[in-house]
Amino acid sequence: MKQPSQLAWTVVGVVCSVLLAGLWLFPLLWALSTSLRPEHETVSAVFHWLPRVWTLDAFRTTLGAGNLTRWLFNSALVASLVTMITMAVSLGAAYAFSQLRFRGRALLFGAAMLAFLLPFEALLVPLFRTMNVLGLINSYAGLVLPQVVSPVVIYVFKQFFDAIPGDFREAAVMDGAGPLRVLWSVYLPISGNIVWAMAIVTFIGAWNNFLWPFIIVTSNEMMTIPLGLTQTYDAFGVRYAQLMAAALLGALPVGLAYALFQRRVTQGFLAASGLKG
Amino acid sequence: MASVALRGIKKQYDGNAVLDSIDLDIADGELVVFVGPSGCGKSTLLRIIAGLEDISEGVLEIGGRPSNTIAPSARGIAMVFQSYALYPHMSVFENMGFALKLAKVSKDEIRERVARAARILQIEHLLDRKPAALSGGQRQRVAIGRAIVRKPEVFLFDEPLSNLDAALRGQTRVELARLHRELGATMIYVTHDQVEAMTLGQKIVVLNAGRIEQVGTPSDLYERPANRFVAGFLGSPRMNFFAAKLVGEQGRGAVIELAAGVRVQVAADVKRAIKGDRVTLGVRPEHLQIMRPGANADQHAGIQASVALVEYLGDVILVYAHVDGASEMVAVKCDADIAPPSAGSRVELVFPATRAFLFDGRGCVFAPAWLEGASAPLAQAL
Repeated sequence: MKQPSQLAWTVVGVVCSVLLAGLWLFPLLWALSTSLRPEHETVSAVFHWLPRVWTLDAFRTTLGAGNLTRWLFNSALVASLVTMITMAVSLGAAYAFSQLRFRGRALLFGAAMLAFLLPFEALLVPLFRTMNVLGLINSYAGLVLPQVVSPVVIYVFKQFFDAIPGDFREAAVMDGAGPLRVLWSVYLPISGNIVWAMAIVTFIGAWNNFLWPFIIVTSNEMMTIPLGLTQTYDAFGVRYAQLMAAALLGALPVGLAYALFQRRVTQGFLAASGLKG
Repeated sequence: MASVALRGIKKQYDGNAVLDSIDLDIADGELVVFVGPSGCGKSTLLRIIAGLEDISEGVLEIGGRPSNTIAPSARGIAMVFQSYALYPHMSVFENMGFALKLAKVSKDEIRERVARAARILQIEHLLDRKPAALSGGQRQRVAIGRAIVRKPEVFLFDEPLSNLDAALRGQTRVELARLHRELGATMIYVTHDQVEAMTLGQKIVVLNAGRIEQVGTPSDLYERPANRFVAGFLGSPRMNFFAAKLVGEQGRGAVIELAAGVRVQVAADVKRAIKGDRVTLGVRPEHLQIMRPGANADQHAGIQASVALVEYLGDVILVYAHVDGASEMVAVKCDADIAPPSAGSRVELVFPATRAFLFDGRGCVFAPAWLEGASAPLAQAL
């Protein structure tokens, strides 16, 4: 039986949680409400929480516009490639930094972590020039390659690998496993949850990335969803209902993916933090 | 199975010598125990044999083959780790078969070898379980089974019993001895526990600070320790040591003077020492006898002491006493049938001259000598 003071704190906690949840949910609900109105209602001087006229016109127009499906495809392809390559590169780098002994290891790791200090915006010009020299402007390779190196992911994996007892690696070496085999057969399965967590976070980050696609893409067909959304305007200005419909359709795949894998993400972060959960 | 030979093995980390000139021969089929205090280099030596550590200098031979640069998995060696190192995501069967799978052995043969090892270790009913679902003793068996399936030439055990409780340790020791008899394998076993060393090893290698102090059978090391370190390391409670001075020879033995001026006789050949040299007297707890003051009528007086603590262990009684003039306590092992002295009482400690050891200033033992009129030291009834 809870003491009255404990009950009071519980009530305060619940109320605060509900308020915070509401603050977070409000933009989503407003976007949904806007997308279900006729266009003229979105700029009405009279404010209504809910549409006075419910319509799916915005969704119909957006889907029929021609390029949304292409943008969805581009986002899915780029986000998937970025995720797979980032995981492969980061896992290999983290394993090397954590378990292998070679000259210059500490220096190399320090250099990789220095990238933490550099904002991506500071690298835009040199990256653009590099992609230009390589002839990768407005290409999938140009979209993907600059996004596949993530010091954060390397660091998280390295910390996790450091915590795995070295006996596992040595036992695998005694069994005849080489470094790649040890990573694949021993470290990767043990790190399953954290790998899932990092993969999902990387996927969402790549899906939502606006800045780099904005710089590297020059044609409508190569746009990703965040970039494509800026195209929802006509001679009369921004079409808010269509914009919200496109935004919701663009966020839907990622939202569904997160909903499906939310448990793995939570377990992954708990595993990384060392808490039992 | 194979022999193992170490020739001048040295190991350094950043200029610090961890192992220094290790020379050792391990015969085919022998069970050798490396024992020593923490940090003595026994695990490092085992890891060098396994190939998990590089050799700074020297030659390692396994089965007569120089093996310094041979990969761990190609040395014909299997290792049982202190933590067992069972892959948590694999079942017992998969753990035991992993090495064979990497070696591209056929699935049928993997199944057969795993089943055979499981039968030997009585873990057939555990093959589908994951390590998390096993007890400590079961994990221990699986770790041993993982080594057995590989049919290695040499088995290495790195403190395999240290994570088990006392009862299970005793039981598993018996199992390991049985396994050694059954497989006839060459086994190298590392432990810091002298009881494990004495009960398991056909040959014991005592290490200290990166050097081999002595190699021999358990009885060799216990009855004829080469130096003070070995004498004090083996035996529980450990040997009692008394600082002393050499005052002369009597017959073929030596007379020494302890603190508080007590003179005692020891059956040791001290010809290489001179009168006045600092020496150390060593007497095992089971060889010290307690006499009440005045009851000892021998020419040489006993060592005066005050009883500090009496411990009843069921089959024996341990009496701890402060010796006059010395800072350390001595331990005396008494028969539980005899009433011990009470704490605080004054006693006299005596010992047979032929059951004591004498060590020089560097800790090296003086060779035993028989006193005039005495028979062979170990056979003398006292």
